[in-house]
Amino acid sequence: MTFQIAHAGHWLTTIAYFLPVVAFLVWLAITQIRERRRGRQQ
Amino acid sequence: MFLIGHGISVRSDLPIPEWLFGWAAAMVLVVSFVALAVLWPEPRLQKPSWRPLPGGVGRVLASRSVEIVCGVIGVFLFGLTIYAGLRGTQSVTANFAPVFIYVIFWLALVPLSVLFGDVFRAFNPWRAIGRAVAWVARTLMRDELPAPLEYPRWLGRWPAAAGIFCFATMELVASNGDKPESLAIAALVYSAFTFIGMALYGVERWIDRAEAFSVYFNLFSRLSPVETRDREVGLRKPLSGLAKLEPLPGTVALVAVMIGSVSFDGFSGKRPWNSISPDIAQFFQDRGLSPEHALELTFLLGLIGGVLFVAGFYWLGVLGARSVGGGFSARRLAQEFAHSLVPIALAYVAAHYFTLLLFQGQAIVYLASDPLGEGSDIFGTADNQIDYSLIGANATWYWQVAFVVCGHVAALILAHDRALALYDDAKLAVRSQYWMLAVMVGFTSLALWLLSSANS
Repeated sequence: MTFQIAHAGHWLTTIAYFLPVVAFLVWLAITQIRERRRGRQQ
Repeated sequence: MFLIGHGISVRSDLPIPEWLFGWAAAMVLVVSFVALAVLWPEPRLQKPSWRPLPGGVGRVLASRSVEIVCGVIGVFLFGLTIYAGLRGTQSVTANFAPVFIYVIFWLALVPLSVLFGDVFRAFNPWRAIGRAVAWVARTLMRDELPAPLEYPRWLGRWPAAAGIFCFATMELVASNGDKPESLAIAALVYSAFTFIGMALYGVERWIDRAEAFSVYFNLFSRLSPVETRDREVGLRKPLSGLAKLEPLPGTVALVAVMIGSVSFDGFSGKRPWNSISPDIAQFFQDRGLSPEHALELTFLLGLIGGVLFVAGFYWLGVLGARSVGGGFSARRLAQEFAHSLVPIALAYVAAHYFTLLLFQGQAIVYLASDPLGEGSDIFGTADNQIDYSLIGANATWYWQVAFVVCGHVAALILAHDRALALYDDAKLAVRSQYWMLAVMVGFTSLALWLLSSANS
């Protein structure tokens, strides 16, 4: 298996494609946690 | 196989990097989601709306005589494909069978189904033969012949999912999957299986639920505004055909196979797969498999992995949607929202195979004149050449992005409408859709990455 560090540029481009998904999931998780906290407080 | 159609030239001079198209597409989805939440407060697609075509045209189009003519054409093309595969040259590009099966049948019928409704049903050779045999038997017996067995509900669309998976295996895994003779034999084996199924469970029941290609093209035709009811062609709201898709077992698996197989086809051209697959193949070779079978097994694992990844990602969205409340089981939610994956499958197929259809589809012009590849010139078109200048690389990319975005927006609309119908509380319905939006953004990013030149 050869995941070469020298090709980091390619991997960074790939990561760039999936950043919106990661950002959205993080936002979703934060929203969910906030709502649960609010629910507990009420 | 057909490598030339997948990427004819290199994209250049795009105004922004390819990955920024992915971000823009994600933004379009988020804006569409907000617009739906504000402007689409009630379900609009769940109620059936259909009106016949004016002037009796609908009745003519769906008449028995047109059905018979279409059926005969379907049987003729099927017979020609088998004959060309068995008797013609074994060159992939010079024989009618591979191009007809992989390009005209498998790809061209998809846009035709989306535009004109379930056209394959009319041309389906297995249905035509099954109905003809049933008519002869009915005439001889002078009585209706009921199906010997009742189609079990638990079987749902599982046979169709298995059938499409086998076809994808033939296309993407089998080393001789594009050989004309292999295709003809596979078509004959599938035909035997289909005839047994129709004999046991009835022609229409088997066609509607289990015959892989009927179910496959029918799913796409449900996006169409054209629908045939009671022997009359009419118009309905676009997408509304999917809203009334019966949530049968196996539906999620079928759509996962549809999206997963295309995803794997794209992924198999990427550097991560090309760096890992030789090691996996070597692993199997070390255990006694021939190099050819080791590679096939590696690709089979890749295909299964692609399908499982798509199914897993969808289930993640479903579990997220369940976590917001509403009292629905994950299984119920998975079935209720499965129809929203169909436009995504369409987007994947359209974007990925757009150029293949456009370029290799032209081959049928010369193959029609020389189906066996033995030098005949029946219609005088045997010297026709494929015009590769039909569309440029940049224009192809714009079309691909447009297909992906439109498909995912359509999926959002379907999921939003179903959520409004399913949940009593509109706010809960919208909150449940946050997770489906995550699924859509994920599939959009994946689609564009697979189509891009990143890691190629």
